[in-house]
Parts: sequence; structure tokens; C-alpha cells
Amino acid sequence: MGATTATALAPPDRGWRYHLRHQTPWSRTVLAAGILVNLFFFIGTIAVLSSYGWSRVCPEGATRIECAPSDPLAAGLKSAALGTVATIALIASIVVMVVGFASLRRMPTRSAKEAVITGAAIASQSIFLPALLLWFRGTDVDRFARNFLNLSIIGRKAGVAWDSVTSSVGSILALALIWAAVVGALVGAYAWWRKTGIRPVVIGAIGGLAGGTLWGLLDLSNVPSFIKGAQNTLILSAAGAALGFGLGLVLALFTMSSRRVVRAPARIYINFFRGTPLIWQLSFAGIGLVPALRLNLSMYAIAILVLGLNLAAYSAEVYRAGIQSLERGQIEAARSVGLTYFQSMRFVVVPQAIRRVIPPLLNEFVILIKDTSLVSILGLTVAQKELLGISRDIYSSSFDATAWLGAALGYLIITIPMIRVVTIVERKLRSGLTSVIG
Amino acid sequence: MNDDGTLLRLDGIQKWFGDNHVLRGIDLSIVPKEVVVIIGPSGSGKSTLLRTINLLEEPTEGKVFFNGVELTDIRTNLNEARTHMGMVFQQFNLFPHLTAIGNITLALIKVLGLSKEEAMERGREQLGHVGLAEREDSYPSQLSGGQQQRVAIARALAMRPTMMLFDEVTSALDPELVNEVLQVMKNLASEGMTMAVVTHEMGFAREVGTRLLFMDDGVVVEEGKPTEVFAAPKHERTQAFLSQVL
Ligand SMILES: Nc1ncnc2c1ncn2[C@@H]1O[C@H](COP(=O)(O)OP(=O)(O)O)[C@@H](O)[C@H]1O
Ligand SMILES: [Mg+2]
Repeated sequence: MGATTATALAPPDRGWRYHLRHQTPWSRTVLAAGILVNLFFFIGTIAVLSSYGWSRVCPEGATRIECAPSDPLAAGLKSAALGTVATIALIASIVVMVVGFASLRRMPTRSAKEAVITGAAIASQSIFLPALLLWFRGTDVDRFARNFLNLSIIGRKAGVAWDSVTSSVGSILALALIWAAVVGALVGAYAWWRKTGIRPVVIGAIGGLAGGTLWGLLDLSNVPSFIKGAQNTLILSAAGAALGFGLGLVLALFTMSSRRVVRAPARIYINFFRGTPLIWQLSFAGIGLVPALRLNLSMYAIAILVLGLNLAAYSAEVYRAGIQSLERGQIEAARSVGLTYFQSMRFVVVPQAIRRVIPPLLNEFVILIKDTSLVSILGLTVAQKELLGISRDIYSSSFDATAWLGAALGYLIITIPMIRVVTIVERKLRSGLTSVIG
Repeated sequence: MNDDGTLLRLDGIQKWFGDNHVLRGIDLSIVPKEVVVIIGPSGSGKSTLLRTINLLEEPTEGKVFFNGVELTDIRTNLNEARTHMGMVFQQFNLFPHLTAIGNITLALIKVLGLSKEEAMERGREQLGHVGLAEREDSYPSQLSGGQQQRVAIARALAMRPTMMLFDEVTSALDPELVNEVLQVMKNLASEGMTMAVVTHEMGFAREVGTRLLFMDDGVVVEEGKPTEVFAAPKHERTQAFLSQVL
């Protein structure tokens, strides 16, 4: 690389300081007003609801009509104070938005214009939410709250009791140390092999320690609880993914064989699992096949097997698309230097295809996490139930629909980070950086 | 070498892609140290011919003999046979997930069974040979087209092949990068490598080729010494083609 003769200019700094310097008093006012009216609405709502309380303890044996945990929340939602807050927020934000958009074209700088747009857009958000709230206050709030807003049930059924944690610190610690040692050793072996130094080992060990602690806490949770359910959801999807992603790759290679006798069985398998509902597969295996054949398999194992076999069919298609997206020249070049078919796959095709299939495979994984809910038809024991099964249990013993909210919360806590990961990985792969880094 | 003194012999090669009759009876013999240049219009079957030589395409009919072995015999170990024939492609086909040296050493280690150190040494030697000693740790995406193609040549040469096949290796290059690749090929020819070269570089054909084949529509229409064919093409299809490209 030759030396550059011209001095390189740094790109102009257009950070937030720059934008702050290029505001007009008016643009500042609109932006501030947009933010303030939003804050007013959210803080006001929370303050009013908190002053009435979010839930209360009801005496044993009281009917839902006499006393519901959600009563204070319902009272807060119906209160005149909340109505005032919502109305003021609604009117104020309409004013901010209209004034903001009307003055848009007169802003002298791009920064000022952006600020006005941002202020108006933020304000428009506090038009929508107060309007929704005002509409909601006109419906049967009491009834809705009784059924869906007994927030205490989520807390009570979350799982871990503090005294059981303090009494088993020792066992949690032991578990965490074992985890740290195992993960540390695995990462260490990898680091030694790739000569990457000590840092990843330390990170791995700390990660193992954290994971072990969490796992120990989860083990303490009393059943049925949402945490236990989340744990089972995670086990089911992780085990199903391990099975499915592995088997899927083998299936994909089979479907690409030039020999029909190899291709056909793989295709039949894939079409069968993609063509029948997962819930049918679960019922057939768990309720039909296993008892009929007197197989000595727990329902939990069946659930993992069926989820894995099902995922294999879907991931096989993903792998196949990834592999076939490589140019034909790659495998030709590999064969021309004498690599066998399997060596070409192993050293040339698969390493490249893996990068292309990671985002769609992660998507399949997110789908699998949600599909674990279908195993609840298998009649698992209480300790084996996943999130949906748990919330169903809680609902049928308490007739409190709030339980469903708990399950939704659990799924979101698991899936949203996964979805984030998919987005990040996709962006990374798109930037082409990985092909440079190798 | 085959019994008759040739290194490579094609006997009555026919190739169909479905109903498309691409090679219509090709007989071709190449003796050691020959540089056979194949020219012809696009779609005439030049690439297919080259690819049947190392059996990347299986001829529908006909036989291929190389170095005393019949490659079209299904009992032949093609993977072993291919290690003696290097091939370079129009689109380079470097492995993008491996560095320049990684591209070269992969087959040395996995096919020839060399140790990592031996493979690295041989790889470096070959990269030096094509003038890229400095770039061994570069990924293909970090190299220019001409450099990529030279790495591809080094990858093929590192196997120490008895024969090299070149399929329009300069066609995908920017004009100013063509010469560096042709220079490598010229050196190779002067070192006595047996080569079959499909190309549109008529200057190269004239200067380096020991024999020229003109292909059209799946048959070899005309062959002879390059200078003679260029000076006085006998067949009118050859005349028409040469009048367009020269
Ligand atoms: N893998 C293939 N499948 C089907 N048809 C092919 C294939 N490869 C080449 N052909 C056809 O064979 C003919 C000759 O192609 P090719 O040998 O690439 O010609 P050239 O290299 O002389 O331009 C073309 O009509 C092309 O479409
Ligand atoms: Mg061609």
C-alpha cells in the first residue's frame, strides 16, 4: 500500500453537540414541549394509579365481586384525576403537534427542522395513548380489571421465595462453581487450540458462574411458577434445537444428492414434517405411538424428540438454500484440486454456507421457542410444564386471566433478546465484514 | 504418459446436456510440454471440453486417457487423478473464507497429506512464484482480480500437476490486470508445463501456443500451428471468427 500524499481530512463532526448549536429558540421550545407533554402523561398516569394502589390483598373466601386484588387499580383507572391527566395531555399534545408541523418549513437549519419534527412526533404519541385511555374508561373497567389486571398473581407465581434462597446458598454456589469450571475448561480447550490467550477463558468462567447461579435459583422455584415454566420452555427449545439443527444438516445433504434413492427418503421426511401440524405430530407420538408401542419414554423426552424432528425438516430447507446459494464454481474448484465430495462440503461449502444460514436458523429457533407451547397437550407433570402449561394451570385453579399475561411476559423476555440477536447478526453479515475477517 | 507417448488423449468425446448436443465427437491428443490453445465463439463448447478433461463433466460418450490411466473407467480414482491436473477458472473461484495461503494449503494438507509446515512452505514458494509472497494472509476480497487469479494459479501449481487447464482466465479481469496473469502463464510454458488454454488473447496464442484449435458448434473445425492458422485460416468459419477478433 503506497503512502498517501494528500493529508486526509476527518469527516465533519455532526454529533449531537453540532445539532444543539444549530437550534432556534422556537425549535428548542417545540422539542421540549413534545418531551414534556409525554412525560406529563406517563408520570401523571403512574402517579394517579400509584396513589390508588396497584393491587390489594383480599381475605380468604371472598368472591371476586366482593373483593378483587385489582380493585384499587380499577378505581385508579376510573378516577376523575386520571381523566384530567389524560385530557390535558391529549389537548396539549395536539397543540404541540399542529404548531410543530405548521412551523416546519420556516426552520432555518436542518438541525432545527429535525428537532421540530422530533418534538411533533413525540407529541403525537401522547395523543394516541391518552385517547386510548379515555376510550377504555368508557368501557366496563371493573370487569376487565377483575379478569386481567390482578398483577399480584404474576408476582406471587413468579417463583422464587427469598427464604428458600438464603437457606440454600451453599448448593447454589456449588452448582455455580461446577458450571464455571465446565464452561471455563471448554473455552480454555478452545483457546489453547486457537491460541487466543486467557481472556476468553476468564469471560467464559464468569459467564458459567452467572449461568450456574441463575440455574440454581431456578431449581429452587416452587411449582407451578412462571420461572419454572420459563426454565422448561428453555430446556425444550434448546434440546430441540440441538437435535433439529444437527439432523437438519444431514437431511439437507441428502436432499442434494444426485441419487434419487438418497434424495427421495429425505424429501418424504421433510414433506411429512412440514405438511402436518406440529400439534398433530406431538399428539400422534405422545398419545398414540408411545402407549401403543409401550415405549419406555417420558413425555418430556417425546416432546423434545418431536420438536427436534420437526425443526430438522424446516432447518434442512434453510441449509439447502444456503448451500445452493454458493456459486457452483466453489465446489468445482474444490473438486479440481482433488478434494472428495465430503471434503469439499466440509472444508469449502459448509463453512461458507453457515454464515448465510445463521440468521434464518435463528428465526427458526425463535419460532421453536414459541412452538414449545404446543407440548402442553401432552399431559406433562407439573414440574415439566412450560410457560403456557403453567399459565393454564394457574388460570384453571384461580380463574384469573392475568395468568396469561404472565406467560406472555415470559415468552417476550426470552424471545426479544433472540430477535435482537437475529437483527444484529443480519446487519453484521450484510455489511460484508465477516467475509473480510474470515 | 499413455502408451502412445501422449500425456492426454480424448477419443470420440460426445456430450449432451439434455437435448443440447454440446460436444460432437472430439478427438484430441496432447504430448508433454505442448501448449494447446483453444479458441472459438462463445457457446461452442470450449469450457465443456476442458471440464471433460478432468471429468468435472462426465462425457456422455467417449474415453479420456491421462498419464496411462483411463479416467472414464468408473474404477479410476478421480480424486487422485485430479491432483495431477491443475485447473484455473474464469471466475477465479478462490475460497472466500480462506486466506491466500489457506486456499493453497487446503488440498496440500487434506489431499496430499502434507504436514501443516510442509504445506505452508510449499504454499509460500508458489505465492513467491506468482509474485504474491507479501499477500499470503490476505483474503480474496482484499486482492485485486489479477492477484486473485494469480493465487488461483498458485493453488493449482502447488499440487505439482503434470498438466494445467486454463479456462478464459483473463476474461473477467480489468484490461490493465490481464498482463500480469499472462506473464505468469508464459513463464509456466517456458518451464515446460503441458497446458491446455482456452483464451481470447490472440497475442498470447500466437506467442506461446505450440498448437491452435479452433472450435465451433461442438467440433474442432481447424487446427495447426498458431502462426499458420492466423496467417492463412483454411476453413471459412475460422476466417469469419478471426476476422472478428483480430
Ligand atoms: N452444466 C450445464 N448444463 C446445461 N447446459 C450447459 C452446461 N454447461 C454448458 N452448457 C451448455 O453447453 C454449451 C457450451 O457451453 P460452454 O462449454 O460453456 O461454451 P464456451 O465455453 O465455448 O462458451 C452452451 O450452450 C451451454 O449453454
Ligand atoms: Mg467458457
